[in-house]
Amino acid sequence: MPYALCFLLFMIGLYCAVVKKNMIKIVIGLAVMEYAANLFLIMLGYRVGGVAPILDKSFLKQPTGQVAPTEPIASFINTAVDPLPQALVLTAIVIGLGSTALIISMCIRIYEKYGTFDITEIRRLKG
Amino acid sequence: MKGMTIIVKTIASWVKVLIFLFGISIILFGHLTPGGGFAGGVILASSYVLLMLAFGRDFVEKNLSLPAASKIDCLGAFLFALIAILGFAFGGVFFVNYLVKYSQPLRLISAGTIPLSNIAIGIKVGASLFLAVLTLSIFRLRQSTEKKE
Repeated sequence: MPYALCFLLFMIGLYCAVVKKNMIKIVIGLAVMEYAANLFLIMLGYRVGGVAPILDKSFLKQPTGQVAPTEPIASFINTAVDPLPQALVLTAIVIGLGSTALIISMCIRIYEKYGTFDITEIRRLKG
Repeated sequence: MKGMTIIVKTIASWVKVLIFLFGISIILFGHLTPGGGFAGGVILASSYVLLMLAFGRDFVEKNLSLPAASKIDCLGAFLFALIAILGFAFGGVFFVNYLVKYSQPLRLISAGTIPLSNIAIGIKVGASLFLAVLTLSIFRLRQSTEKKE
């Protein structure tokens, strides 16, 4: 069920990128598609009833003073959410920011040359 | 690009130091807490963007000019490649973690080459995003009558 809603979000972004005539609305549609893709990657690593994949020093210490027990670490591995998709999606969000900056600079340049944001007008002018 | 009123300038000059320190903390503790190089680099760049919005672009360009930021960007990429090639020299495989045998788990100085990679990536991402915003503000909207071509 959450995967169907993520697919619906992707379809909303695709509708904006294909149907709209204003250039800025196309850019917003592309950004919504990026959000849907990152959300899908994070949802793949989820585990129902899981804990956050962060360790701290209390995992290494025991009341008897011994170091590195195996039982809490095994239960942590069995209940923790997968951290690898989260690290990759953090990278993907920053890369999406960079590509959005590139598209916005192209929109600024087209507005300087043609004087309009409407993509149907651009086809008729010669510049 | 002009600056803003004196209230905004005073508050921005106090807050920018806190944002920069927060970004450095997220980079350095990247192997213990969530974050790492990418998120910390974005926070470093956003402190400079706050300075650019409050004081104007010319003030920030005197502080950190475009060639200097470009050199810092290349330095971050070169550091990252150097760490990877040293893995090939010391460990036999490209990009292997050759310092992990000297470290104890869950301390600040641990996990081998991962904190060093975080620092290099943080420097590179911060300089790149600052350059992107600076370049977008330099090429402002010109009148269509004074075109070059």
